[in-house]
Amino acid sequence: MSDHFSGPRALADPAADLIDLFAFPAPENPQRLVVVMDVFGKAGPSAVFSDAVIYRFRFRRASIAATGPNAAFAVDADELAFDFTFDVPSGTDVAYPRQPGHCRMPRGDTVSFDTNDEQGASGPGLRVFAGQRSEPFFLDVRMIEQTVATRQIAFRKVGADTLYGTNVLAIVLELEWAKLLDGGPMFAIVCETLRAGQRPVRIERLGRPEIKNVSMSFKMFDQVNRDLEIRDLYNSEDAFALMPDYLGAYRARLNANLSFWDSLDGKVDWLPDESGNHPLTNLLLADFLVVDVSRPFHETSYFEIEQAMLAGRPHATAGGRWLNEDVMDSIFTLYINGGNGPRISDGIDAPIAWSSKIFPYMAPPNPPKITVS
Amino acid sequence: MIAAAYAPPAARTSGTIEAVLTHGTIAVRNLDAQIAGLEPDATLCNVRIEERVLHIDLLALRGSILGIIADYERANELAHALVCDAVSDAAAFFARARTRALFHRFGDALDDLDVAERLAADAEIVNRERAAVFQGLGRYVEAFAMREEIAQRYPSFENLGALATLCAEAGDTERASRLHAESLRCYRGVSPLPLAILDFQIGVMWMHNGELDCARDHLRAARRYVPAYAPAQGHLAEVEAELGNVEIAMGLLNPLAITSDDPDYAAQLSRILVGAGCAEDSRHWRQLAAVRYDELVALHAEAFADHAAEFWLGVGADPKKALRLARMNFAIRKTPRAYALLFRAVAANDAVNAWCSWNPETSRSMTSPPNGRSMQ
Repeated sequence: MSDHFSGPRALADPAADLIDLFAFPAPENPQRLVVVMDVFGKAGPSAVFSDAVIYRFRFRRASIAATGPNAAFAVDADELAFDFTFDVPSGTDVAYPRQPGHCRMPRGDTVSFDTNDEQGASGPGLRVFAGQRSEPFFLDVRMIEQTVATRQIAFRKVGADTLYGTNVLAIVLELEWAKLLDGGPMFAIVCETLRAGQRPVRIERLGRPEIKNVSMSFKMFDQVNRDLEIRDLYNSEDAFALMPDYLGAYRARLNANLSFWDSLDGKVDWLPDESGNHPLTNLLLADFLVVDVSRPFHETSYFEIEQAMLAGRPHATAGGRWLNEDVMDSIFTLYINGGNGPRISDGIDAPIAWSSKIFPYMAPPNPPKITVS
Repeated sequence: MIAAAYAPPAARTSGTIEAVLTHGTIAVRNLDAQIAGLEPDATLCNVRIEERVLHIDLLALRGSILGIIADYERANELAHALVCDAVSDAAAFFARARTRALFHRFGDALDDLDVAERLAADAEIVNRERAAVFQGLGRYVEAFAMREEIAQRYPSFENLGALATLCAEAGDTERASRLHAESLRCYRGVSPLPLAILDFQIGVMWMHNGELDCARDHLRAARRYVPAYAPAQGHLAEVEAELGNVEIAMGLLNPLAITSDDPDYAAQLSRILVGAGCAEDSRHWRQLAAVRYDELVALHAEAFADHAAEFWLGVGADPKKALRLARMNFAIRKTPRAYALLFRAVAANDAVNAWCSWNPETSRSMTSPPNGRSMQ
């Protein structure tokens, strides 16, 4: 799953378990950039945010440093962070309670709001929403596992959506990028959960979809660290500054797993370099979403900027990731045939409810007790 | 009551560490939300095994926090279904071993762990699970050997906390307290549940050692972490009653006796009411407890034999029944508490001769009851 249950440690604190990040120019107003953080996969109606966790979006200005086989981004050292915190809900509502929340902006201003209020709250140059929403992500996990187990593509024409009818806790931040992000137009974005306190401690971080699960979780292909559960370690890293001590371990895991995915169609689309590195490894280790707000919003834009960089051509879209993109198909196509073949479908083409193009974008929560058909 | 030994261990109280934790009411809400989110898919074969195991473990966790026996039963049922659906997956056998141990079916739990081991599960994980079962069985020497080794190699919060609970159960109060403090320093999470559980276990340790003030401190700490922590509330009531604070004890027990499907609270309330001279009220709760204990013993004899025996030995006033259950309990687990319970049941029945004819060898050792370590 995108980042659902992405490490043993995360299981203890579901409200701190990051599952998805989305970033896109507001479809109806490109002056505004929208970022969405989802936590708590398969949340029941009583789910609330933790009062001990800081939910953080981090923005850094980015640019293209190199194209071609060594494609890479340059990311500024300075950054701006938007922190969301929540109080203990005081009401007696069992389902979808109003929970007071606060968004602290980089310059210290705070916007307060109640969760599950569709109108959200506004501040200077921004609008926020937090609460329970329909899970926008869709995939067939069992067939992914079967693909890995059999080492053959196991996707069916019509799959079974593992997340069908489920809900998440979502935080939506819509902001005037020119006003609040000190320039642009290209930004590198990650989200994090941190244990609050005098010295906040990172619990999880998330940038690109399916790095920790589809790309990193399988151990058996990794000849360097075959037994290592690498994800908690990876989660604890700063997305913009990986520690050199463990970089080799992450690289080895990605090289091995990406080569496995590439092998599934019986041909090599991604030739490793002379050091054995898969051409996507470095770009994926730059584990943040990159959005270019000077380019138009597009419904299927995930990794478009990066693919253009690899091909040495200008990118056409804003990149990032839109809520409704069938990102699993995008990822499998990228990993398995590098775009040199038909689009690969995992058999799930839609979530239970599409997100909309107006605030708060995500569909309302599904009623409880919907079972997979 | 169900085996506390199998609850996930945890820790904190050092006072030198200021941990920021999720509020206990949020933690319980979210535990409910996790279970509610997983329940609709509980028996579907296309759900990932990892997720089904999580569901089972969360039910067991909620059962231990809120004192809901129905949660344990549901966990047990789901674990059995999981093994049927995933006969070649070690994780399924681990999950069923855990739920079997909850119901004191320790032999069956060990069988499941043997299967998991044959399915090439990691030896260290198997040993961690076995240690918990050995602890439940009172096979402390083996449990210590495994827990010590694991904690020495990986002195994490979980491993130190597990060793602390083993020391607590074996009666090594000093070491349990030290390990408790040590494990707290390793805690990195924000959930208060593991910390509450560990404080609860240390509180119970002090209670069994007659250190009621210490017991009260830890049980109160457990409830500060998680106000809805039913077993902590129940044991705190027991401590308060022992300290002569009968009104407080009744105030703590009343809501539990009304809402819980665990008869321990009704039994305790009945006992306190007798002492307070409220015979009629006491009779009401005694009858409720009696019916429920009989139901539970009929369904899960191994799990409830000890607490039912305690009940029949006390306010239930049926020492014969108590002796039968205490013997059953002792046959399953040779812990110091099982021994003490049997000893009291025998004494209550004035049946020393019957005891000797039942097991002459064990009766010889009764002149020097064990103190903490394994009886095996």
